[in-house]
Amino acid sequence: MGFFMDGLEAEDYDRKYSDKDLVGRIVTYFRDHRKTMLVVALLAFSASVLGAVIPFLISSVIDRLGEDGSAVAFSDVVPIVAALFASGILVWVLNFCRQWLSARVVGDVILAIRKDGFRAVMKRDMSFFDQYPSGKIVSRVTSDTQSFASVATLTLDLMSQVLMVLVLAGLLIWVNPLLGAIALSITPLVAVAALAFRRIARRTIQQAQRSTARLNSMVQESMTGISVAKAFRRERALYAEFTEANEQSYRINLREGFVFTSIFPILITISGLGTLAILLVGGDRVLDGEISYGEWYLFIQAVAIFWGPITSIASFWSQFQLGLAASERVFALIDAEPAVQQTGDRPVPALRGEITFDNLVFRYSDQETVFDGLSFTIPAGQTVAFVGHTGAGKSSIGKLIARYYEFQGGRMLIDGHDVREFNLESYRQRLGVVTQVPFLFSGTVADNIRYGRPDATDEDVLAVAKRIAGGEWLDVLPDGIATDVGEEGKSLSLGQRQLVALARLLMQDPAIVILDEATASVDPLTEAQIQEALDVALEGRTAIVIAHRLSTIQEADRIIVLDHGRIIEDGTHRGLLQGGGHYAHLFNTYFRHQSPDYRPGQAAEAERQLEERELAPAGS
Amino acid sequence: MIRSSVADESRRIAPPGAAAPERLAEFRVEGVPPYDYRSTLRWLWSHNRHSPWVLFLAVTGVILTTARNVGTPIIIGLAFEEVTSGGSFEGLFRIAMLLLVVGVAGNLADVVGAYSFSVLGARVQKEARAELTVSLLGKSQTFHNQQRIGDLMARSTNDIRTFWNIYDPGASIFLDNIMTLIFATAAIAFINPELLLGPGLFIVFGGITLAIYARQLNPLVIQEREVFGRTNATLNEAVSGIETVKASAQERQEERKFFRGATDVRNVAVAIGQLQARYYPLLILAVATAIGAAQAFWLFSEGEISSGGLVAFLGLMLTYRFPAEISIWTISMVQQGFAGVRRIIEIIQTDTELDERVDGHAARVEGEITFEGVTFGYGGRPVLEDLSFTIQPGQTVAIVGQTGSGKSTLTKLVNRTYDVTEGRILIDGVDVREWNLDSLRSQIGAIEQDIFLFSRSIRDNIAFGAPPGTTEEDIIEAARGAQADGFIRQFKDGYDTETGERGVSLSGGQRQRLAIARALLTDPRILILDDATSAIDSATEDEIQLALQKVQHGRTTLMITHRLSQIRWADRILVLDGGRLVDQGSHDELMGRCAIYTRIFSRYDSAA
Repeated sequence: MGFFMDGLEAEDYDRKYSDKDLVGRIVTYFRDHRKTMLVVALLAFSASVLGAVIPFLISSVIDRLGEDGSAVAFSDVVPIVAALFASGILVWVLNFCRQWLSARVVGDVILAIRKDGFRAVMKRDMSFFDQYPSGKIVSRVTSDTQSFASVATLTLDLMSQVLMVLVLAGLLIWVNPLLGAIALSITPLVAVAALAFRRIARRTIQQAQRSTARLNSMVQESMTGISVAKAFRRERALYAEFTEANEQSYRINLREGFVFTSIFPILITISGLGTLAILLVGGDRVLDGEISYGEWYLFIQAVAIFWGPITSIASFWSQFQLGLAASERVFALIDAEPAVQQTGDRPVPALRGEITFDNLVFRYSDQETVFDGLSFTIPAGQTVAFVGHTGAGKSSIGKLIARYYEFQGGRMLIDGHDVREFNLESYRQRLGVVTQVPFLFSGTVADNIRYGRPDATDEDVLAVAKRIAGGEWLDVLPDGIATDVGEEGKSLSLGQRQLVALARLLMQDPAIVILDEATASVDPLTEAQIQEALDVALEGRTAIVIAHRLSTIQEADRIIVLDHGRIIEDGTHRGLLQGGGHYAHLFNTYFRHQSPDYRPGQAAEAERQLEERELAPAGS
Repeated sequence: MIRSSVADESRRIAPPGAAAPERLAEFRVEGVPPYDYRSTLRWLWSHNRHSPWVLFLAVTGVILTTARNVGTPIIIGLAFEEVTSGGSFEGLFRIAMLLLVVGVAGNLADVVGAYSFSVLGARVQKEARAELTVSLLGKSQTFHNQQRIGDLMARSTNDIRTFWNIYDPGASIFLDNIMTLIFATAAIAFINPELLLGPGLFIVFGGITLAIYARQLNPLVIQEREVFGRTNATLNEAVSGIETVKASAQERQEERKFFRGATDVRNVAVAIGQLQARYYPLLILAVATAIGAAQAFWLFSEGEISSGGLVAFLGLMLTYRFPAEISIWTISMVQQGFAGVRRIIEIIQTDTELDERVDGHAARVEGEITFEGVTFGYGGRPVLEDLSFTIQPGQTVAIVGQTGSGKSTLTKLVNRTYDVTEGRILIDGVDVREWNLDSLRSQIGAIEQDIFLFSRSIRDNIAFGAPPGTTEEDIIEAARGAQADGFIRQFKDGYDTETGERGVSLSGGQRQRLAIARALLTDPRILILDDATSAIDSATEDEIQLALQKVQHGRTTLMITHRLSQIRWADRILVLDGGRLVDQGSHDELMGRCAIYTRIFSRYDSAA
């Protein structure tokens, strides 16, 4: 094995399921199709038995032919030929019905598991998405589910085949115990080979799937970062990395290929040995006159007939393992525990928007404690700006209120209720979040604005869009609100994307607004208009503002200064400035940067100038 | 690809007097043999011809395997004849040994043949992936802007995975089937030519129905791939935008979108399954076998064939069953594979607008930038119209204008992220299209709005694009210059901290400082600073400004910024409105003269 398995470790949320658990879970997906599956099984069984009847028919003809070693009247074999004819057609009809039905069942089941997989992905909290590359998540929902349903149809096929083997075995032993025993002796050998194969196959397949997932996420990253790679002419380095992963995948594929191509010849060898034994032993008996030609012929054919079902048992294992390994990955995804746990399901018809953090403890990981007992209350309707150094925990507050992450201690109360008691979906509908790099979905500007309220008409959308920056920004869009934004909004400038995100927020009409550096990317010309729009947007709502815009901060009702997860100052702009503490110092620095006169590195001089101007707020 | 770029040549403005220079895609790999894109089969062949031994082993292996399959019923027929004609056990034993030898040899051939086909499949898979990746890396930014990453991913993973199926089971079983038909039919003709009636019926009608089947299946398979790619893209988008989905509680809407796609996938899959159910060759084989058996019994009763011949014939008719049963599956596998190949070739063959002059101008950039009547548009609509200006080496130029006025686009024309539609851009007096792309881009540093970090260590991200021989000290020095050293050292793993999808989440300001460090390390002559990301929190603002000032020093800088002081102190300001250059000059010149510009500063009296 060795070095080339590097980087193919399972994800943390992967877990081992016993085959029994997996099969049990899979069966539940077929529960709704029980009747169809029963019919399918019956059809498969009937077809197999009919197929097995044919050698008996032929053997009876040969017996008649062979009795005196010469010809009999052709008319004697006519009924048998007719039976051959009828059974051939009947087998086809049975198979047609079986496949027609099972195609639908398989399609439905794959659809069902994909839906469950998708729902599971949507339920994961943000820490899950921080941790796992989206390419790998996507591959579980689309690729792994594909081989899932095959498990069940294969099992049905297998069961009908096994039944047929049993019936046939009974008949053969009844006809001739010795030859029957020889014909059946290949069965345990095949079973042993198939079981050994099963272990190897499963491991190989898992590795192959992981290497595919790795290649997947590598391609995705190269494509996402393509502009950076181009600007720095680093295509070659990316390609080198890709080549390394590609080679690894190639080696694993070769091994997979070897494992899968060797199984059939092994099984054919075993059955060949069976044929050989019957040929010799049976031929000897015929020579001794103990059995008829027809019987001999029957047993030689019997091995061939056994061979069909038994190799399908073997190929069953390979495909079955494929399905099980895939199901394991899908179920692991479905079963991964979301860190964000709601204890209740209280609907949230309306919110006033009072937010209380009560001795709240939060860490992203064991090493990284963000809050160790944070407490504050924001009354309904208040706009609060959080300021502080990078890493002080400003963004975490917004993320916790949005329930993207789970906190580890203390309580968070919204309108006096524990936030964990709410129905999450209903609660989040009362929230509006705008982030620094807003995500837009492919579609038009209008589609994105009505994202939170899909039933909004174009008129509603236009009305909302006009409340942002006076609608002036729409004029530069080639098709107005019908402009296509491209994948992840790439056709729009970052500033335009933020405007769309703000319009989206207005459309959603939330009770609590979280603006995480939301106005940072807007050019100076649009900034003032955004500010006006924010006045409209924030009115009557509780707002958590994490901003670096002087104007946004100073217009807040209240300012909380954070330092290393603790509140060090809390008050109004004016109050804090007069206090001359931390905020006053930050504000000075801030004002200095946003003033047109600022020159970097001239801090001392700038501070002097500021003092002269008595910290007059800009832009008011 | 070379052919298409030659075709491109006609619409390029070639420098007067110059022979048509060779232009190639932005990125390519040497030493890769050219592949043939004229058809799917030719393309596959252009890959396989480099593995002649594997190809030989594959074909030989499968032929020998088939010989065993057909030989077995004949040998059994011989055994039958030996016994019925009153032969001895010794005779029977010799025939049994023959069966053993044929069986063992056939199995070895089977392993060799099937494995060789997997090797061929795996090789094509690997090479195609590389080919696609090279091609994607070489495509222009315009191309990438138009692609959905989810769809590209589906192509590069699922489509390429189907290539294997062309070989194993596809080609290996197809060859097996053909050889079985030939060998078995020949053996039957050898027993008695009259017996060819049944096999003949099967081959003719089976073949016809198979062809019809394949024609019906093909569009469905293509549709399946397309629908699948689309659904994959939807899912990918939902996962990438998960924060927005959650924030607006729109999981249900995403669910509906995905379910719609998944249902389409299901419907196509069911349609394919039901077409497969109605598979006539098997019905025809059943009829042909019954007719053949009747005829064989007739001939036997007439004494035309021996008992051994009869048994061998019945056994040979059974060998047709495998080709009849399996071809349905083989065909769909091969068709899926071919559809995948076509989709890959489609991407590879998409013309990349930008191509590179191999023998282009390579020199140290002094930093003079001239726009001469530059117009640029995407898909027919102009973003920039008729821009002309000159920037002297070492100047800092700020570009101002409303969101959407084309500021970012303007900067992207300089390093040929996009190519102009009309007019030209000169750097040090040389058209950017005449520059060698490596030389040009390595001397233009860009700090973009949306800074992308790769899933690797901070050290590697800073050194991304650095010249060879960059030492640890250089990296740390650059990080210091960018005021990034401090926060990097606060991480537990310091410079080894992973960023990107799996790594730590960095604030906008931290990202920006990493990008500045990157730019300092590559020491570009021209710097493009799209500084919309003022995600810097106030306390570090001064550090950032210092870092920016440092990185601008001694370089021609094109700057888009919201920082009023940076605009004010720029050597020159370009004012854009709706894609046109409405004014240019220094702050003092523009104040009062240019209404748009004055508006920016209207709220501040100090700058007036």
